[in-house]
Amino acid sequence: MTSKSQHIVKNPSGGWAVKRSGSSRVTKVYLNKKEAIERGRAIAKNQKSELYIHGVDGKVLEKDSYIMDAEK
Amino acid sequence: MENSEFNKNVFINCPFDNDFRLLLIGIIFTVVYFEFKPRLALESADSGETRISKILKLINDSKFGIHDLSRILSSQENEYFRMNMPFELGIDYGCKRLKEGIWSGKKILILEKERYRFQKAISDLSGSDIKSHNDEVSKVVFAVRDWFITEELKRGDSGKRVWDEYNDFQAYLYDQVVEKDGHTTIDEVQIIEIIHYINEWFGVSH
Repeated sequence: MTSKSQHIVKNPSGGWAVKRSGSSRVTKVYLNKKEAIERGRAIAKNQKSELYIHGVDGKVLEKDSYIMDAEK
Repeated sequence: MENSEFNKNVFINCPFDNDFRLLLIGIIFTVVYFEFKPRLALESADSGETRISKILKLINDSKFGIHDLSRILSSQENEYFRMNMPFELGIDYGCKRLKEGIWSGKKILILEKERYRFQKAISDLSGSDIKSHNDEVSKVVFAVRDWFITEELKRGDSGKRVWDEYNDFQAYLYDQVVEKDGHTTIDEVQIIEIIHYINEWFGVSH
């Protein structure tokens, strides 16, 4: 997991948040998880980082990496 | 046992079944987050010691006790409800009220899935402040955090911050367990190993 990794996490007060690793600051909260994933994926691709999609209980359900092999 | 050790120990009396597993991990994570030490009956594999002996020692050695009564109701027909958790809560409560010295300062948190359900099963606890979590990990993280702040720390990171770090930890756990160690899922890993990864995570990230 890199410091730029993006996470789709349950927002305790409702909806789904896009946030960066190590940060408590949320990029944006979406009511719909699919929209949050689309936004998180776009950021991860742009930053050549990783996207972790978490479940309601925090467990990672899916991980996608957009890190180029040479950068790993 | 040193007083300083007693003052950091948190006896966790929760179901160890798969349905409760992520709630238990959330509780353990929050305990470690606030620099306390989780103590569970699972931590010793010594077959020569009876389970109740281990539990008595853990209760005796811990200032704090977290007791979850979610399994006071059986979930299907012909399934027995689970009495271990209320039994161990009773021992911890008795230890606090009947022993003198450091044990009189024990702190007890009682958790339940639904807010008032316990009153039908254990009416002796009526009037006690019991926290409900509705089987949601974020709620149990907030409940344990709030309890530590109220009872001991007076101030500390918000529940939201702990929840965010918990999610970061889950990503770290996935990388270690699934990608590096070759497990199919984090569900294959024992709770004792999870505690190892939580401690490792705090060593790495803080």
